[in-house]
Amino acid sequence: MLNDRRTRGFQQVNYNRPNSVRSSPGFAAVPKDSHPPSLHWRGEPTRGEAEAVLAALEPVTASRYELSVGPRRVRTVTYLDTVDWRLRGKGLVASHERASGPGTLTIDGDGVSGTTRLTELPQWPARVEQLPEGEARDGMASAMWVRAVGPVLRSRAVTREVAVLDDEGKTVVRLDWAEVTGIDPVATPPLVRVSLWPVLGYGRDAKRVRKALRAAEGFADVDGDLYDGLLTAAGIVPEEAAAPAITREMPADVAIATALHGFAGVIAVNVNGVLDDIDTEFLHDLRVAVRRTRSLLKLAGDVLPPRLVARYEPDFKWLGDITTPTRDLDVYLLEFDALTAMLVAGEPDDLAPFGELLRAEREKARRTLARALRSQRFTRLIEGWQAALAEIIDRERSEAELSAEALAGQRVRRMVKKVVRRARSITPESPSESVHDLRKRCKELRYLLEVVKPVCDEAAHRAVIKDLKKVQDILGAFQDGEVQSESLRGFAERLQAGNRRPPAATLLAMGELSAGFVDMQLRARHDLTEALERFLGPATHERIKALLP
Amino acid sequence: MKVVASYNVKGGVGKTTAAVNLAYLASARGRRTLIWDLDPQGAATYLFRVKPKVKGGSAKLVGGARPVEAALKGTDFHGLDLLPADFTYRNMDLDLARSHRKAGKAARALARLLRDLADDYDVVFLDTPPSLSLVSENVLRAADLVLVPIIPTVLALRTFDQLAEFVDTLDRDRPRLHAFFSMADRRKALHREIIADLPRRREGVSPTAIPALSVIEQMAVRRAPLPAYAPNSPAARAFESLWSEIAELLPA
Ligand SMILES: Nc1ncnc2c1ncn2[C@@H]1O[C@H](COP(=O)(O)OP(=O)(O)OP(=O)(O)O)[C@@H](O)[C@H]1O
Ligand SMILES: [Mg+2]
Repeated sequence: MLNDRRTRGFQQVNYNRPNSVRSSPGFAAVPKDSHPPSLHWRGEPTRGEAEAVLAALEPVTASRYELSVGPRRVRTVTYLDTVDWRLRGKGLVASHERASGPGTLTIDGDGVSGTTRLTELPQWPARVEQLPEGEARDGMASAMWVRAVGPVLRSRAVTREVAVLDDEGKTVVRLDWAEVTGIDPVATPPLVRVSLWPVLGYGRDAKRVRKALRAAEGFADVDGDLYDGLLTAAGIVPEEAAAPAITREMPADVAIATALHGFAGVIAVNVNGVLDDIDTEFLHDLRVAVRRTRSLLKLAGDVLPPRLVARYEPDFKWLGDITTPTRDLDVYLLEFDALTAMLVAGEPDDLAPFGELLRAEREKARRTLARALRSQRFTRLIEGWQAALAEIIDRERSEAELSAEALAGQRVRRMVKKVVRRARSITPESPSESVHDLRKRCKELRYLLEVVKPVCDEAAHRAVIKDLKKVQDILGAFQDGEVQSESLRGFAERLQAGNRRPPAATLLAMGELSAGFVDMQLRARHDLTEALERFLGPATHERIKALLP
Repeated sequence: MKVVASYNVKGGVGKTTAAVNLAYLASARGRRTLIWDLDPQGAATYLFRVKPKVKGGSAKLVGGARPVEAALKGTDFHGLDLLPADFTYRNMDLDLARSHRKAGKAARALARLLRDLADDYDVVFLDTPPSLSLVSENVLRAADLVLVPIIPTVLALRTFDQLAEFVDTLDRDRPRLHAFFSMADRRKALHREIIADLPRRREGVSPTAIPALSVIEQMAVRRAPLPAYAPNSPAARAFESLWSEIAELLPA
């Protein structure tokens, strides 16, 4: 039955989620964040043609109902996430839908849902502050953190709403027929689904309709939502590509090369994000990979060809150094609001000229960095390094070689000894250089432990990392306090020297911040003694023994 | 949550028509809306194509034995739910009196039931049967605003005055009265005269008149609110301006 007259009451119904504006209990019959039951249609796609959709849904009418088709709608749906799948990690689905006009931005997930009508076409990727204000942004902000969202997958959805009417012509169930095709980055065959939206007070009809469809030949239950189905069909695996792990039996040099190759991969994939300034985490991740590389070269580079290490070590130092200024400024800017909030005597606005200086310096630093990352030196470094490592990984292997496991045991023990020795020698009177030295060694140990994780006892590894982390946090605060108070001095001097002299209030506020950092350092120094005592106690010793054979 | 009653002692004056159309407009303008059809005849229920049936009937409902929520029905319209009529509502007076010993409680029982829905709806419309009864008293006490359709005749005005007098006797639950002309016929001189004159002279009388038009009568054939099938008709416009007035009297 084709009955357009009765479709007048239809609101636009999204095909894969409760319409977020439906907040009256009439629609709250479905728990708010749950998805309606959906069935998968195995027959031929209908392209949303009314006759074909009605023919497919025919089993519903057998008992006592009539069907009334609503309008056919076509729109593109672009699913969004951060490169490291933060939204998905939090069970959120963000999408930009449009038919004509700029469309809507929607967030949907555990206890969160919201839709924002857009007034202009959004640009991807976008960080939180670049997204249009509204429910959708509010719903995704904390999951996004400092990262930008961009398109994961673009699809085309053809939908048709079909109302199931009882003998009064009353809608008792709403069916959403949706045929969704992936278009970008790959084309996928259409996924055809029908979702059943119960109407308040008509739960029994919803059950009956669902039963009729499930009993029909063309329909099957589905697990997972449409987005999952699309990702699978498109061959997109929603997790960060893990670098191949080292194994116990690998020869030592192959294992080290494998780990280094993984880091090189991280460096390479983050370069574009840094160049495009998508968000600050690209640079951060790149730098961590550089630090890990340098640390591993230092602790286990001797198993690699000496000429290779000698050739690349300085390059990685260079790479680390050229990325530092931008990262330091990023950190300042990311923390800027928190810093402002720290002020007790000063007013938040006092720091505005400082903020401007930070932004100007960051822009300059970033340009320098971009030049370096576009240089031949960098290209040669990353390409040559990856190729050289690949050669080691693929080399012929023989039986009698030092294994990864043996190497790991040896190096971890050596590194632990170093850390313990330094930790023991720290007293409340030790100069801060000794504390910094301990901090660096702890970091090296941490990186080493992360590399050898696959050959370690899992529980022991987790415990050791946890102990180590506590100490590292305190050492980090100690270092930060010192570095920040010193760098504030530099910023203040540059502000003074600039052509627009800052107001006294700005310098005073910066002085207050500086005092805060000194205080943080002092507190960390105080906490350190106790933390080291715990770390040097028998428990840690036992755990380290259990770590490796 | 605001409660709007469509009420007049007289029958056939457009109470149901107003309640259904205004509830539809309220929901279309984004308010989470419920309409409770208190008339055992179930005209509003019929217009929404819902079966006039409440499990347990009036006794269980007003006695509190069955939660109001269990009886709710989603209409075909977004954000608009219905609490249907039931034939047993014809005994509601008795049920109210029976389940509440004290007269004061019996007169406020519906208000209390509605309180359970306060988080779910922004506005509740009550469509009432034409009578002066314990149910009516409940309705008047529960309502923030009482809409009174009056046909522009002198006699009809008298009944409105009587209602105003009665409402004045209510102590603390006194609702605001808002009368409007229903089924106004421009061809009748008396209608024209009253419509032009009264809103100026009398407080609580709307300047908006709903004309007598066959497109409104068609609601019973279409079984739908008027603005849903004739959104641009002058009749629908008249209801829209009436809703705007009410919306202003009832800030969200
Ligand atoms: N403005 C109008 N123009 C034409 N017909 C109307 C108008 N308003 C209402 N009617 C018709 O008049 C009849 C009575 O209207 P309605 O049911 O709204 O009145 P009521 O006060 O609720 O009646 P009752 O007291 O029986 O409940 C209905 O058939 C309705 O379609
Ligand atoms: Mg009526």
